[in-house]
Amino acid sequence: MKPPIVELNSVFKSFDQHSVLRDLNWRIEPGSVIGLLGRNGAGKSTLLECLLGLRGIDRGSNLLFGESAQHLSSATQENIGYVPQQSDLFEWFTTQQMLSYFQSFYPRWNQAKVEQLISRWDIPTNRLISKLSVGQKQRLSIIRALAHQPALLVLDEPVASLDPSGRRDFLRELITDVIERETTVIFSTHILSDLERIAMEVAFLNDGRIKLQEPLDNLLENTVRIIGDTASLPTFAKELSRKQISAQQSSLLVQLTASELAQAQHNALNIDAIGLEDLFIELTA
Amino acid sequence: MPDPAIQLFSVTAGSTEPIYRQLVEQVTRLVASGTLQPGQSMPSVRELAGALAVNPMTISKAYSLLETSGVLERQRGIGMLIAQHSNNTRKIDRRIELLTPTLNKLIFEANQLELDADTVIAQLTSMLKGPAQ
Repeated sequence: MKPPIVELNSVFKSFDQHSVLRDLNWRIEPGSVIGLLGRNGAGKSTLLECLLGLRGIDRGSNLLFGESAQHLSSATQENIGYVPQQSDLFEWFTTQQMLSYFQSFYPRWNQAKVEQLISRWDIPTNRLISKLSVGQKQRLSIIRALAHQPALLVLDEPVASLDPSGRRDFLRELITDVIERETTVIFSTHILSDLERIAMEVAFLNDGRIKLQEPLDNLLENTVRIIGDTASLPTFAKELSRKQISAQQSSLLVQLTASELAQAQHNALNIDAIGLEDLFIELTA
Repeated sequence: MPDPAIQLFSVTAGSTEPIYRQLVEQVTRLVASGTLQPGQSMPSVRELAGALAVNPMTISKAYSLLETSGVLERQRGIGMLIAQHSNNTRKIDRRIELLTPTLNKLIFEANQLELDADTVIAQLTSMLKGPAQ
């Protein structure tokens, strides 16, 4: 068996007195395409930065390709592509200068791919990066991350400033090029419709930990909401949340096996299938 | 050349139904209705993934399930075709099977509303026959 691409063990991270990651464990297997979900301020960017070794951790261990993330070999560094939430391009370079600069670091730089994307995504090559629009900068940042064909691609809100057609085109690029090469992809996004099209797995970050990680299809198929009298509601093996919604009634979010589901239906419990958006709200509350 | 059949497929994000399942049901229905004919070729995984902007693994999963259930057939060097025996889906019991999940939901909701079988059947019969002449 191949070792995991990412292995975070009992990671703690805080800023001043504010604790962001608390005893967080996360394993990501090669070839995973995983969406990271969490509310604003949950620490998604911090988690991705710690995972990449761009930020030190207070306690625990963070391995990337089996190496300590803070001391990556250059071979491993060449295998990583990262699109940060805030564009970190060199604003005083032109597009052309910036790409040539990065090209010099990467032996596997795919210039044909770069040129194809630059022209398809309408990015002026001789303009200063500081003069590009927010959307153009974001697309350029994506091109830079894809150009050296990394084995791990980490995207932090990669499409936040793209319009729907720009997002769709970016998804197509991910699908036809990146995922087909069995690249491991980790991305955070608030645009759940994009995530559903691309992610095979989702991970929910809440309270400083990965609260739940599961194949998206399973999650949609097994997770239901059950509403009923608090006194008579049975308990289930995998309850994700239980809350009182009125004087008599409670709402449960549970993962059921097929037989548990049949039993619950037989008992005429009030059961509803639940979509990703509702799951997000319930699991990140 | 893009496969003309590609226009027939669509998926909805935000549904409570996973995308692979939406595709399985769509293909099964299109075969049952005769829109997709036995021997007709399906778009390749890559082509359909690109057209729908969906992870190719999701398309593969749907195709595999359709192959297992006999709706599709893998032809070496050609790809996925609508199975010759997919005519089976035109048989009445296969078509009833497609309706079963919806009927189960109906039964469940009728029970919740405490409606007895005769009342539900009478209502269903009158709705199926359409408005009275």
